[in-house]
Amino acid sequence: MPLYREEAATGHIVEDPWLRLADDAAVPADGMVLVSFARWRGARAVLLARRGPVGVALANADPVEALAADLPRLDLVALHFPKFSDGRAYSQARLLRGRYGYQGELRATGGVLQDQIPFMLRCGFDSFESEQKGFGEALAKARTLFSVVYQPTEDGRAPASLLRLKRRNAVVS
Amino acid sequence: MAKNLSGDLQVASANRLSDGVVVWLDDAGDWTVRLDRAAVARDRRAGEILLLRAQAEAFAVIDPFLVAVAEDNDGTIEPLSLREKIRASGLTFDVIAADAVRYA
Amino acid sequence: MPDTYFYRYDDYDRTLVAERVEQFRHQVRRRLAGELTEEQFKPLRLTNGLYLQLHAYMLRIAIPYGTLSSRQLRKLADISRKYDRGYGHFTTRQNLQLNWIRLEDAPDALAELAEVDMHALQTSGNCIRNVTADHFAGAAADEIEDPRIWAEIVRQWSTLHPEFTFLPRKFKIAITGSPNDRAAVRVHDIGLRLWRNAEGEAGFEVIVGGGLGRTPMIGKTLREFLPKNELLAYLEATLRVYNRYGRRDNLYKARIKILVHEVGVEKMRADVEAEYAETRDGLLGLSDETIEAITRQFAPPPLPHRSAIVPQVERQKFEDAAFALWLKSNTAPHRMAGYRIVTASLKPAGAPPGDASAVQMEGVADVADAYSQGELRVSHEQNLIFPHVAVEDLPAVYAALGRLGFAEANVGKVTDIIACPGLDYCALANARSIPVAQRISNHFANLARQHDIGDLKIKISGCINACGHHHVGHIGILGVDKNGVELYQVSLGGDVDFGKTALGTILGPAVAGDKVVEAVDSLVATYLDSRAEGERFVDTYRRIGAEPFKDRMYAAV
Repeated sequence: MPLYREEAATGHIVEDPWLRLADDAAVPADGMVLVSFARWRGARAVLLARRGPVGVALANADPVEALAADLPRLDLVALHFPKFSDGRAYSQARLLRGRYGYQGELRATGGVLQDQIPFMLRCGFDSFESEQKGFGEALAKARTLFSVVYQPTEDGRAPASLLRLKRRNAVVS
Repeated sequence: MAKNLSGDLQVASANRLSDGVVVWLDDAGDWTVRLDRAAVARDRRAGEILLLRAQAEAFAVIDPFLVAVAEDNDGTIEPLSLREKIRASGLTFDVIAADAVRYA
Repeated sequence: MPDTYFYRYDDYDRTLVAERVEQFRHQVRRRLAGELTEEQFKPLRLTNGLYLQLHAYMLRIAIPYGTLSSRQLRKLADISRKYDRGYGHFTTRQNLQLNWIRLEDAPDALAELAEVDMHALQTSGNCIRNVTADHFAGAAADEIEDPRIWAEIVRQWSTLHPEFTFLPRKFKIAITGSPNDRAAVRVHDIGLRLWRNAEGEAGFEVIVGGGLGRTPMIGKTLREFLPKNELLAYLEATLRVYNRYGRRDNLYKARIKILVHEVGVEKMRADVEAEYAETRDGLLGLSDETIEAITRQFAPPPLPHRSAIVPQVERQKFEDAAFALWLKSNTAPHRMAGYRIVTASLKPAGAPPGDASAVQMEGVADVADAYSQGELRVSHEQNLIFPHVAVEDLPAVYAALGRLGFAEANVGKVTDIIACPGLDYCALANARSIPVAQRISNHFANLARQHDIGDLKIKISGCINACGHHHVGHIGILGVDKNGVELYQVSLGGDVDFGKTALGTILGPAVAGDKVVEAVDSLVATYLDSRAEGERFVDTYRRIGAEPFKDRMYAAV
């Protein structure tokens, strides 16, 4: 499944360096390992004790709160859209980035389509697994689609209300 | 006029993608706005085949489906359900005319 | 002098609308080229107001908080001519529907709408919909504060909200700034009621989980008093809880009202307050300056003092019975003595309720320019309103509306029927509603009789989705399908006026379509025979109960 990141040079597709570990497979001593939330809860100590980076894949009903304390030690969190129209992962993403300060890679998996990229970027996703034709090109243009936003998110973009305040105060001063 | 109301007769219909207009699949596999040109399937098996044909031609339409129809002695086809009758023949009341100052 | 006395778009607003139009244009192109499946495209067109009905696409144009300028109304007339069949339908959520739009024309139509700062953003789909408000806002005497200020603040926050564009289901918000709730806040996903506490501060009661449809429910108070500047932080918390925990397994159980019902309002409140405790100190706090900037845009028009008693009007009242009745039913008190709020009835006898032709729309726009500061409102009862008409201008307005067929003195009366489009238009419907409304309307056309019957709200829905709001009609009529035959279930005692919210009670088995007029006639007859002094239909029903109505109705059908 093609993996896309914004900053990748060629068509934005990157090799996925992560191994998605099946729940019943042994935990390798090193290497980048992505485990399910259930595996994480069962083998947390083991996973953190090893040398390689660890990532957790959440189902969209899994509580992000449970990961909060360990986020500084995670390099990847993968969130899931069972269907592109199931929007729970948008909330999970915002909580991870905003409330819990997660700074590692935040990956969108499952129903990931180019028309939702602007929303996903605003919610803090920075990598995307998608089979859709033209996804890379859309990702390249996604940040140019909307130059105005109305609400603040963790992407740091100033919403229109803030820009208006600044403009008014600039005029006054 | 005696009508064939057995429910075995079916035609394939959809809404045209570009403009939403109601269309029917004709014998040539094209979509027509004329119900009287719709290809009629006369038994269940023929209906299944008709639906497959419609789905194969679905590029320019949205979600084709089968509509049960009745046929009278003259060969005039009419959908059985009220919804499909309205879909085929339009609103059951007069709308206000575009340049009308008042409703008639 | 500002162009309008409500929110005026600036370059930020215009840019956002224009960019969404552009994005949609590309999406349409890709869909027509087969690069997007219908399943992928459907939410993209729904969140831009384009809905597939029986015969064609329908475009639902947003009229935020039911307020529009004459210029905007003229553009709607234009669009209806150019891209549709020259008429439009005003809806129970204060929007306008055009029923024959072509997908391939939609981007151009939207681009033209954008020229007058209009759009179809989020009027459909599983997102936050058009925020509705009191249609008498800014003009009513009983108002604490203009709710449209807050409707605009919520509109911006909710537009293209990246977290809340794929909710479990649609989300409808309504706001009232008056204790006499004209916005039906208790039957919305979130209702907001402005009120003043003992300290004299204005804040919101936040009501959650109201709604009509398959499982009608009256909303419960989530928060008694919310300080105004915390509104967005609180809404964000509520929507986040809904987005995370609303049901997604069953389309018919996906609204927030089901979540509230299943977990209980205490748990819901606890979850929202916990989330809110985190959001309140964040970026969503509304500064006084931001609130002020928007409030200023709703500063009322400077209305010169005019006489409350005008000899010419008094004379015409005396000489012209129809005018006298019209004053009584179609005008309402304004906060200023020399003015009235005028309702143009879009329910002429025998006409499809809530429809207007392009010419009529233009005529109404002219009346607004001449007599109402160029401003109009759309009510959730499918009528148009002129908020600021001087008493001395009432005869001229009456005459002008009369020429348009919109001066029927029936507002709030038995022929002021609210009806959804029904099976004539809508793919979801089980039965037709418009022809039923037309027959009832013709039967009760006599004005004197209507005024004798008094206030009586009939609301008709063609299916359980209840877009006609039948649950809150004094007489509610629900079309059902039984073995291919249209039948109509009658309920009594619903209400959503004067701060009272009640769901109607079904009288019994559904009646045949050709008996609905007899049914309604018998209900009216029961009322007329039983009423006490000063009682409206719904008051008599509350006093004597359903039995007398039921017996007489089933004897008649």
